[in-house]
Amino acid sequence: MSSIKTTLTGYVGYRGREGHWAFLLHRITGLGVVLFLAIHIVDTSFVYFAPHLYEEILNVYRSTLFGLGEIALVFCLFFHGVNGLRIAYLDMFAPKDWTIDKTRRSAMIALIVALVMWIPSAGYMAYNILYHNFGLFGG
Amino acid sequence: MQIKLRVFRFDPERDQKPRFDTFMMDVDPNDRVLDLLEYVKADFDSTLALRRSCAHGVCGSDAMRVNGRNYLACKVLVKNLGTDQITVEPILGLKVIKDLIVDMKPFFDHYRSVLPYLINDDPLPADGKERLQSPEQQLRFEDTTKCILCAACTTSCPSFWSDANYVGPAAIVNAHRFIFDSRDKAGGKRLNILNEQFGVWRCRTAFNCTEACPRDIHITQAIAEVKRAVNTGRIE
Repeated sequence: MSSIKTTLTGYVGYRGREGHWAFLLHRITGLGVVLFLAIHIVDTSFVYFAPHLYEEILNVYRSTLFGLGEIALVFCLFFHGVNGLRIAYLDMFAPKDWTIDKTRRSAMIALIVALVMWIPSAGYMAYNILYHNFGLFGG
Repeated sequence: MQIKLRVFRFDPERDQKPRFDTFMMDVDPNDRVLDLLEYVKADFDSTLALRRSCAHGVCGSDAMRVNGRNYLACKVLVKNLGTDQITVEPILGLKVIKDLIVDMKPFFDHYRSVLPYLINDDPLPADGKERLQSPEQQLRFEDTTKCILCAACTTSCPSFWSDANYVGPAAIVNAHRFIFDSRDKAGGKRLNILNEQFGVWRCRTAFNCTEACPRDIHITQAIAEVKRAVNTGRIE
């Protein structure tokens, strides 16, 4: 079995617990952040290579689709950051806390903390989209 | 109770691709999954291939995926699965030889690569008998002596799925067992091995290994302790 097929079979099919799901979400959110970073580098490079197109690029950023993507991006940043801190803390400072109970609980706490941080930001960003793109709330 | 048992089947010499055979059977809720497979061999299809030896969770022969998660088939009861639909597949990441039997050679190659034996060339103590160790010194590595090399941990590891060159949790556990043994003198050598490209840093702390271990070894903790020893150069 090729490693890609094995990897995907395991990622999707293996019935792991909170640690497995935290690992998968960490991967996905990491990829989300890298993707945005790549897009951001490309759009900023337009300032130097094609300044006349830069305003066009900014208009893409103002689109509803991109706005929704940015809301997802903020979740990616929060979860990846919080879960990364959890892993770094356990691995570097508290290896004895890598127990089943504590790991399951800490993974859930990381998700909840990320959601608590994300929801107000997501609400504010959604408000901006509705205000600027759909004329709601007096926009 | 009646259950529906689906079993992975694949004979590379005859089959183009794997398939699942389904068996309906009446079983006792206290039956183990290994018992179900024995019923299949006895009553339905004697060609089913699987490994088992002691059948009591000691030899580590019958690690397999049961309903998507690694277990020893001899240690998981039907009633503990909480369903009457049971799917049995080989452990993931090792080549299937036939049905539920996988090629364990890469796994044991990784195990051997970490020098899993006591190394001490110092002269014997004055009495010429044994190298003494305090109970506290023994407790330091007690947990990792419990490994039975079933491969349930290594084949539940996402890093191993994506790259079979990774030594895997079982090899690190067995390195830990000797690195932290006060009688051993080759800890530094093992740490150097585990500091290489496919060593301990491939661990992404997905924690499947610890959840899957039939011996309840604190595997992720052991790996973290090895990481720390690699980082600091101190074996404490």
